[in-house]
Amino acid sequence: MSLLEDIHEVQRQLQHDLSQIDINAQSVENLRIKYLGKKGLIAGLFKDFGALSSSEKPEFGKALNTLKKTAEEQIKSLQNRVAEQDNKGTSFDYTLPGYPFRQGRLHPITQTMNRICDIFGEMGFGIEFGPEVETDFNNFQALNFPPNHPARDMQDTFFVDKDILLRTHTSPIQIRTMLKTKPPVRILAPGRVYRNEAINPRSYCVFHQIEGLYVDENVTFAELKLTIEVFAKRFFSKDVQLRFRPSFFPFTEPSAEVDISCIICGGSGCRLCKHTGWLEIMGCGMVDPNVFTACQIDPEKYTGYAFGMGAERIALLKYGIDDIRLFYEGDIRFLRQF
Amino acid sequence: MIVNTKWLEKYTDIPYSPEELEEKLTYLGLESKIIENAADRIEGVIIAEIQEVLPHPNADRLKICRVATGSETLSVICGAPNVMPGQRVPLARIGAVLPNGMQLKPVKIRGIQSEGMICAEDELGLSDDHSGIMVLPDNAPLGGDLRNYLTGNGISIDIDLTPNRPDCTSHIGVARDITLLTDGELRIPAINFQESDALTSDFIEVEIENPIGCPRYAARIVQGVKIGPSPQWLVDSLLSVGQRSINNVVDAANFVLLETGHPLHTFDYRMIVGKKIVVRSAVDGEEVVTLDGVRRELNADVLLICDAEKAVAVAGIMGLENSEITEDTTDILIESAYFDPATIRQGSRYLGLQTDASYRFERGADPDGAIYAMNRLTDLIAELAGGTVTRGIVDNYIRKIEPARIKVRFQRVNALLGLEIEPQWMVTKFRKLGCEILTQDADCVVLKAPGWRPDLEREVDLIEEVVRIYGMHRVPNAREMHIQPNYEEPLNYKLVEQLRQSLANFGLYEVYNNSLVSQKHTGFGPQKLTPVPIRNPLGKEMSLMRSTLVPGLLQNARYNINRQNNDLQLFEIGFVQQFDRKYETHAREFQRYAVLLTGYLEEKYWGFERRAVDIFVLKGLLIAIFEKFGITAVEFQPSVHDHFEILIDINYRGNMLGYFGMINKTYLTLEWDIEIPVFVFEGDLTTLLENANLGKSFTPLPVFPKIERDISILVKENLKIAEIEAIICKNAGEYLKELKFYDLYQGKNIDKGLKSITFNLVFQANDRTLLDIEIDDKMAALHKILKEEVGAQLR
Ligand SMILES: [Zn+2]
Repeated sequence: MSLLEDIHEVQRQLQHDLSQIDINAQSVENLRIKYLGKKGLIAGLFKDFGALSSSEKPEFGKALNTLKKTAEEQIKSLQNRVAEQDNKGTSFDYTLPGYPFRQGRLHPITQTMNRICDIFGEMGFGIEFGPEVETDFNNFQALNFPPNHPARDMQDTFFVDKDILLRTHTSPIQIRTMLKTKPPVRILAPGRVYRNEAINPRSYCVFHQIEGLYVDENVTFAELKLTIEVFAKRFFSKDVQLRFRPSFFPFTEPSAEVDISCIICGGSGCRLCKHTGWLEIMGCGMVDPNVFTACQIDPEKYTGYAFGMGAERIALLKYGIDDIRLFYEGDIRFLRQF
Repeated sequence: MIVNTKWLEKYTDIPYSPEELEEKLTYLGLESKIIENAADRIEGVIIAEIQEVLPHPNADRLKICRVATGSETLSVICGAPNVMPGQRVPLARIGAVLPNGMQLKPVKIRGIQSEGMICAEDELGLSDDHSGIMVLPDNAPLGGDLRNYLTGNGISIDIDLTPNRPDCTSHIGVARDITLLTDGELRIPAINFQESDALTSDFIEVEIENPIGCPRYAARIVQGVKIGPSPQWLVDSLLSVGQRSINNVVDAANFVLLETGHPLHTFDYRMIVGKKIVVRSAVDGEEVVTLDGVRRELNADVLLICDAEKAVAVAGIMGLENSEITEDTTDILIESAYFDPATIRQGSRYLGLQTDASYRFERGADPDGAIYAMNRLTDLIAELAGGTVTRGIVDNYIRKIEPARIKVRFQRVNALLGLEIEPQWMVTKFRKLGCEILTQDADCVVLKAPGWRPDLEREVDLIEEVVRIYGMHRVPNAREMHIQPNYEEPLNYKLVEQLRQSLANFGLYEVYNNSLVSQKHTGFGPQKLTPVPIRNPLGKEMSLMRSTLVPGLLQNARYNINRQNNDLQLFEIGFVQQFDRKYETHAREFQRYAVLLTGYLEEKYWGFERRAVDIFVLKGLLIAIFEKFGITAVEFQPSVHDHFEILIDINYRGNMLGYFGMINKTYLTLEWDIEIPVFVFEGDLTTLLENANLGKSFTPLPVFPKIERDISILVKENLKIAEIEAIICKNAGEYLKELKFYDLYQGKNIDKGLKSITFNLVFQANDRTLLDIEIDDKMAALHKILKEEVGAQLR
């Protein structure tokens, strides 16, 4: 008899035993020993198998393994049935819920900002902070917003005094950093910013921004594109497409808006992307020479790039939230979802 | 800015579909969106003429209309009140599809066959109007397709302009940008009018008192015009960009504004006293009535156009009622000026008035373009309203605005962008932009920017033009990233994030609250800081910067309790401000962290009693937090405040880490409308981090066994646990390694005024095995001392 016939024979026996068995702990254990025990039938087959020449092995190996697996599965299922029968006789109820372990959550904005900082952190960006109440110089003038320039309209401002205001972006951190550190500078500047805008589902007078700044010799627009693309693919998905299009910010030149292909529809158009297929995620550009001059850095020697994004906007997109005010209500039903 | 494709095509050929144009303009930095035209969805509706209107035999309100399509005559039942013979109307024939998806089928209405439907505007999806059928102009082509007729005026595109592109507030400007891509020709309309022999200078003189605000002012007169309706092409053009027709002269001025981007103003020359225009700053308190009928008080920031006696216009913003063009105007004074952007912006902001004119002037008009715009308007008025044009222009150009001369190094362009673009390609594009090439060699070009591009001042501005025209999306990503090594760990940042994570791990939910608050918030609590006031707040409720985080948490508690969620464990980390003129920003900032607990720690569950939050839950949480930062043995000091039932200060080595307590019930009910106990903590994060002991070092593990003993005593109930602990520590000897209080009991079997307390003591030596007998002796001695010092009774 060949080994294959032996295997079939054990198989037949197993099916026979299974159909005849009276299920209890002892009979199932006996069955297990008979087939899967160290000296069981299947172990015996493996012994015979070991004696085969290597050219014969592939033919039988598969059948033998299938047999072993079938036996294991069927005996395991018998064991489960025994365990269940046992429990039915006692008061132990494994369906009772487990005791809850207390767990809190980080706010979705924190989670978003941390993730962004982590990704750029791996790309060598340090972290810098700055005050929320700022001078007009740091928030506007040094960033190449002349007084009485329409660019200031883009950022409706809360004033504390004539030249003191609530920062409208975290860009003043760029200025503070460049004034105290000589290049190379490679930082992220996260923080809370303020815009004098009425509160509605799309805008809130307080929000959070993360800016990045890299200043060194020979920094190029092409490197900015690379950095942003790495970020966007890591943060959203490696399948997203990016689109850079010219824009205007006083503190960068050239300036660009960055769109990603819509994360819902992939570009074919849906409500989230207003049927354009694109979602705006950030602004960026090459640091304007006037900003370097304001920070006593030689714009001929150094170049740099800067980018900035709103954490709320990124979180709205990432989680599909449709009302920015939810971030500031502290509703526990909202917070539990993240 | 809305532009229209048919209008743009006057100035250059557009070889793109509207969708392509939308994308290409966007890639040029002119973010574009096609304005949906409702007519696009109409199918099979034609233009027909009503020939006869007959009564319906079976219904009073219905009519049978005999309608000609040019090729046949149909019978159509219509119930509209305004239907009349001779009207051209939209006719939906059998088979037509209306925008709502309805397809027309043959139908009998009250026994009479109707072969189609005469449509109202709402049925065509063009508006909500259902008052009657839509009536088309008499020249609408009979039998023509309605969709083609309605969309024949081109596609309109809304451009979201950035503030640096005043040139694109015009059709010519947008057309010029299109030629950058197509290399096509830009066609500027020719000027054709004839001048009369009457000299302009005999009619008007221009005096500029404020050359900063008004570098250039040009004027000319057109005599004997006839004010009347505009021709259809002009009405259609304005309509295509969302503007209504007023009369031929006003429409012509609007058209030239939208064509060239240069704002012009027209005065009724009759109203100009003394043949004189004076440009001056307003006097504080001076009052005028603008064209919109509003009386406005001015200040010295506002620039005025005056005649010999009075103001006639707010320069660059709006004309005045006293000199506006009316139906009987015959002689017109045309103004074409260049006003200083900052001056116009200041005035516009002071008045709270932004107009099409001020929008353009404050972004920077074209000082040279003023004359072309003047000529173009003159030409249109002469053509549309007749009249004769005075000879010459009175052009007072008192302060010359010179466009920048810019040197562009080709190498620098490519170095900044990370590209390799041919110099000649760049130069060709600079010419297309309207730059005048002054000199050029292998390395660089020197050019003069055109007057319509005030944003082109420096080399980098032209680098931006290069990448904009080349296409940012075509710039390949760099292959490498230059990463700077960081030698310094961003320690504080990491610690704050650790604290955040710890609080979440302890079961708390993080919240974010608005930093702009009311006095109710800043007046809270024991650590009152003078809040930073906002000069221009959104409202009184948001007029101050927060000075404490706790009120925000109380607000969150109320919000959730109102929604039947009472079990709350919340925290926030954020900055608060203190008003202090000593600081450059008049504000001192503190980073704070705060906790609020209320309700139960766990949800209702089987198998255990859930714990209600109390002051010791909060205290335990705080001790755990401090331990995370290596801060042990903090001091708790009771304190008093109106807003608190219980208030405890937390000190460590002379520094105040924060305070915690239970909020006063009355205050909580009155001010926050909360009826359940609330416990809060607020601490200063900088103080915590400054006192953190983060260095960790290893202590060898004990090798000899420990001996444990419990001590249970009865003491007076007002005796503090800490006092007894102090006595035990002092007297238990060197081998006491741990002392833990673990039971407190009062009530049954215990005399009134007393409490039963239990401690667990662990003894261990580092160098030998302790003997039971020596510890027994120690315990006996302890009992004795406790009895002597605090009258403790052994249980
Ligand atoms: Zn989409």
